[in-house]
Amino acid sequence: MAHETVAEASSQVVMDTTFWTATIIFLLAYAVIVSEKVHKTIVAIVGAALMLVLKILEQHEAFHVEELGVDWNVIFLLISMMTIINLMRPTGFFEYIAIKSAKWGKGEPFRIMAIFSIVTAVLSAFLDNVTTVLLLAPVTLLIADALEVDPIPFLITEALASNIGGTATLIGDPPNIMIASKAKLDFLAFIIHLSPVVIIIMIVYLFVLKLIFGKKLTVKPELKERVLAMDEREAIKDPVMLKKSLFVLGVVILGFVFHGMLQYEPATVALFGAGLLLLLSGTHDPHHYLAEVEWPTIFFFMGLFIIIGGVVKVGLIRWMSLKVLEITHGNMFATSMLVMWFSAFASAFVDNIPYVATMNPLIIDMAQQLWPNLQGIELLHHPDLMPLWWSLALGACLGGNGTAIGASANVIVVGMSERAGHRITFARFMLYGMPIMILTVLMSMIYVWLRYYLLKI
Amino acid sequence: MKVSEIMEPVKDYLLPENTLKEAVNRMKVARRGEKRVGVKGLIVLDEQKNLVGIVSIKDILKTIIPFYMAYAKLGEFTWDGMLEEMAKKVSDKRVSEFMTKDVITIDEDAPLMECADLMVRHNLQRVPVVNKEKRVTGIVYVRDLYYAIVKALLEREE
Repeated sequence: MAHETVAEASSQVVMDTTFWTATIIFLLAYAVIVSEKVHKTIVAIVGAALMLVLKILEQHEAFHVEELGVDWNVIFLLISMMTIINLMRPTGFFEYIAIKSAKWGKGEPFRIMAIFSIVTAVLSAFLDNVTTVLLLAPVTLLIADALEVDPIPFLITEALASNIGGTATLIGDPPNIMIASKAKLDFLAFIIHLSPVVIIIMIVYLFVLKLIFGKKLTVKPELKERVLAMDEREAIKDPVMLKKSLFVLGVVILGFVFHGMLQYEPATVALFGAGLLLLLSGTHDPHHYLAEVEWPTIFFFMGLFIIIGGVVKVGLIRWMSLKVLEITHGNMFATSMLVMWFSAFASAFVDNIPYVATMNPLIIDMAQQLWPNLQGIELLHHPDLMPLWWSLALGACLGGNGTAIGASANVIVVGMSERAGHRITFARFMLYGMPIMILTVLMSMIYVWLRYYLLKI
Repeated sequence: MKVSEIMEPVKDYLLPENTLKEAVNRMKVARRGEKRVGVKGLIVLDEQKNLVGIVSIKDILKTIIPFYMAYAKLGEFTWDGMLEEMAKKVSDKRVSEFMTKDVITIDEDAPLMECADLMVRHNLQRVPVVNKEKRVTGIVYVRDLYYAIVKALLEREE
């Protein structure tokens, strides 16, 4: 794209009062979210309400227009998966997995660290990271107490593994869920494009752990006995419900694998699973399971979608996308690399959910500028655009590892560790997280370059 | 009868800066009546003798049980000696960190029924009694209330 036309298009954005009102609401909301002075969910709801009250966005647009409003695909996918987990949790399945893993580790601290990291990564690929870490961290603290070792390295390596594992699939991490919905990418696409690099990253990650902790961690033999004496079968509280849950989880995962072919949205698959498991559970009190859905997170998403809708409508996002194209002169490789590294550092310090919520329409807008004659899937899946989606996903997900506040899993681990009397300082987390983030994003960069620009597969 | 007629005087108390170990020791040798027989709970007073908290055996157990046990069902995966180990780990914890801070109190001239209702409603074993200036003047134990019931029923029979 010639430089003049970009500049020309730039002047198309009408910067009137509505434009500035929407821009101020957007910037103010994001600033308050970053400052943490007010709970982020409240900020998102107030910001969204302002967009509606000030008539920047019509309510109809906010609730019913796909390009401007709430992405119900994301909302229902999250609610349904959370409901399935809430029904599954009391069965003791996750405690069973964790105790079993510790026993596989034979009470050897490094083996336990490696196995816990793998288990966390795999669970995080299919459940949300917060749930996975919330389930595994208590067991980690128990095992660390049993072995009389410092739990901090275990907890941090688990949080990092959770963010790495979550990158692998469509449902693994909220950025992927959002990207999939906007870019109309299916579950298999994520498996084909992201899982391979995540597996390589995971292997390298384990190798790095081995180098750092392999010889450092030792325990007395009699303490290992404590772990070996644990009977994981005692964790199972409700074997009947467990079988039902595993059956439904299997159906849901199969549903995800085939949803593209069967032309179902992922939310349809998840909603079916949640409904089926509620029915099979035979509960007469769904209130409990539904109340435990993380409603503040859900409302945070809904509010953000509406705020973004407002700035998309007034043209702020268009203006931003034109600026990006100006910088990169439409060079797609440069754009992907810029997106990946910028996303990584942005996600390391701010919530990656509002970040990706902004980047999605920005990338779509950029595509519209580059290929004005295309639309729909042809536009979203343009071969030159695809690496951008994967760069955004890799950067935003892996960037979460950079600091203690980069991802929800990190925040939870730090909080739990502190409650257990082991404070993880911001610096200590970063000492582990930042090098791993840079290493993994570097690997992703090589992967994207090799696969999409050199080999073109 | 009023609460002030059945309450016991405050002979021992804890300070917020006492450690768990000190608290346990003080509870062990605390007086009840004239003898040093030990008690299962003590009030916490600051330097101005203001009531700032109360410590019961349950508060001590809660601080010894690692918090992560509440997050997942891990009771089956504990080991011999864990309770003792965990107790030693937290032995330097300050009373102010594990005491119950919102202390339910009762007025000196409250009727016994109010006291009974309070104890059952909040599942209490002891309630500090306060005067108009909100100073602690005594403690009513569930056992003292029960004695009042025993007296009422047996006196009538006699």
